[in-house]
Amino acid sequence: MVIGAAVALLIVLVLWSITATAATDPGTSPSRIDLPWLVLTTTIQAGLTMVLSLLVGTALAWALNRLRFPGRELIVGLFASAIVTPGIIIAFGLLAVWGRAGWVAEFTGVRIPIFGLGGILFAHVILDASFAARILLARLESVPDFRLKTGQSLGLSAIQRFALIDWPAIRPTLPGLGAIIFLLAFTSFPVVLLLGGGPANQTLEVAIYSAVRLDFDLRGAVNLALVQIAICAGIILLASAAAPIPANLGRSAPQRWRDGAWVQALQEAVLVIGVLGFGLPLLAILIDGLGPGLGSLLAQPGFWRSLWTSLAIAAASAVLTLLIGLTLAAARAASPGRLVKTGIGAPAYAYLAVPTVVLSLGFFLLARNAGIDPELAAPFVVVLANTLLALPYAVSTLAPPLEAIATRRGKLIRALDLSGTQQFRSVEWPLIAGDAGVVTALAFCFSLGDLGVIALFGTQDFATLPLLMSRALGAYRSNDAAGIAAIMLLLTLAAFVLIPKLFQRLGHARA
Amino acid sequence: MLVLDQLAYRHPGQPTGYAFSLEAAPGEITAVSGASGSGKSTLLDLIAGFLAPSSGSLTLDGRDLLPLQPEERPVSILFQADALFEHLSAASNVALGLPRGTDKAEKDAAVTSALAEVGLPEVGRQRGDTLSGGQKQRVALARTLLRKRPVLLLDEPFSALDDATRAAVRDLVLTLTKREGWITLLVSHHVDDIDAVATRQYRIAEGRLLLS
Repeated sequence: MVIGAAVALLIVLVLWSITATAATDPGTSPSRIDLPWLVLTTTIQAGLTMVLSLLVGTALAWALNRLRFPGRELIVGLFASAIVTPGIIIAFGLLAVWGRAGWVAEFTGVRIPIFGLGGILFAHVILDASFAARILLARLESVPDFRLKTGQSLGLSAIQRFALIDWPAIRPTLPGLGAIIFLLAFTSFPVVLLLGGGPANQTLEVAIYSAVRLDFDLRGAVNLALVQIAICAGIILLASAAAPIPANLGRSAPQRWRDGAWVQALQEAVLVIGVLGFGLPLLAILIDGLGPGLGSLLAQPGFWRSLWTSLAIAAASAVLTLLIGLTLAAARAASPGRLVKTGIGAPAYAYLAVPTVVLSLGFFLLARNAGIDPELAAPFVVVLANTLLALPYAVSTLAPPLEAIATRRGKLIRALDLSGTQQFRSVEWPLIAGDAGVVTALAFCFSLGDLGVIALFGTQDFATLPLLMSRALGAYRSNDAAGIAAIMLLLTLAAFVLIPKLFQRLGHARA
Repeated sequence: MLVLDQLAYRHPGQPTGYAFSLEAAPGEITAVSGASGSGKSTLLDLIAGFLAPSSGSLTLDGRDLLPLQPEERPVSILFQADALFEHLSAASNVALGLPRGTDKAEKDAAVTSALAEVGLPEVGRQRGDTLSGGQKQRVALARTLLRKRPVLLLDEPFSALDDATRAAVRDLVLTLTKREGWITLLVSHHVDDIDAVATRQYRIAEGRLLLS
């Protein structure tokens, strides 16, 4: 309860500091921000991202559902990692493949304009379609065996099979998934910063960042932030009316029902394009980043300082996210009545409506209004902000299994007179350790790849790897940027794979 | 006559396998009973072509069925649940039993007639998910009528139904089996169902079929 109240209080303080500044700050000069234009272009970009990502994600999920081949699980894992792959890495990888000095230009001589709306959409679709494919694949793999057998026995064609079996399985997930993708694209920061190519292609987030860091237009930034919060809250309300996205990722059953040869060829083509689209930028990052230029990066003390800062912030955010997430989820599970449960969960979910840069701006203003030097507050604020941003994912993952345990085993637990600690150690932890591992890995990776918070609070002495990479790109030190991107990618993938495994082992040890 | 002769299969990771031998005649319901996990569904999967046996034979009137894909086998299958595509109307579900490309007028007439034969002439426009359990099974039987496949496999088809509905659907299956000359194989662990309709009864024990 106390933690829930603290989480709620923080968001109230952030919103208050933003609105209070809007009311009192006179502004130094007339704002150059064209708000209606920004909202319109951001909405168009996010809408296109959503539609394209759902289409590509559905095609990838369809192909993966049908095909069986050695290494399939690796590709499924690759798509699953899209949720944690930092946008700045994908944007940089796209430049390495499609940019002016990228692989495509080098080998074919063809120069593709990667900056602007096309580049933003490309990067967003690569990330979001991969994420969508993993979620939709889980839905397709949850289709009951009976249904598949009936369809196969009836001799359904590939089109009939999609319309009668696949589409009903994925359709309920599409509105919620679409809303999440729209939100991710609407609030996109690093991709737009890197690939936007100027003010013509901005999101509100980038405009807020520009207003604070480049134009010193605090009042303009605050106005943008309020509009951003209102729109995001609206999208979340719409999304919450849709069916929830299931947390579990389904089974991978042996596929006995193969489509015809032509359809299989189409599925293989879809998959190859998908794997190249997502995999090539990552491969380019590793090849470019782990090349000869790495030595000079590793010789820089600033790199090592940023690496340790990043790891420390990510670890602290991950642990804090897990602790607060577990506490809120357990409190929800133990509470009677829907209203109380909603009251406990709502403050955590509210952070979905507060985009990264806006939250960071809120803390920035809060520190300034309280007379605290933002440089001194920076490490704590960055950890706290990243924790709060990961909290909705933590609560939405941990609350359902804990509530299921309370419903199914509540009477038995009471009959055995287990203490709270016994209940957690013996009953709950073994069952939720896997989910706790996923939450910790997500929080670690989100924090490791964050640019939105650190962009406002970073200083010369206090920088994380994404900020260092962004600065290297700004200073045209592309070798350094490539090296940092490669190391971030390896760290992200390692954390994404190893942390859940570690927690699963801890869960088994306790069980 | 449907004949299984030492049709063998072993699930991956299981120490022992199955070897099924059975004879089932047209116009009769042949029942197979057995404990949970004894291999009843495996038997149906082998006949329907969802599993490939390691050895043995499966013939219908002397014709080898093993080289045929599930959709090519002369078999209709009806499960306990998921018999219908619930977002489609009852008529659309039944129409799936007709060959692709069937003329619309012909299709409408066939569907109407099949629904009438199973006692549900009025539900054609209703979505699958608005039908009761018994109605769903009847609609699935109407689809089976249109498929005109000589073998009907029933996997616990009455288990989800209440007693009165169960008896009615069971009787309908028996009537259609006799009239259409189907070779109906009923897998069930309900002794009542088996005693009420089966001409021939087998029991699965230790991976083998024993004639009761």
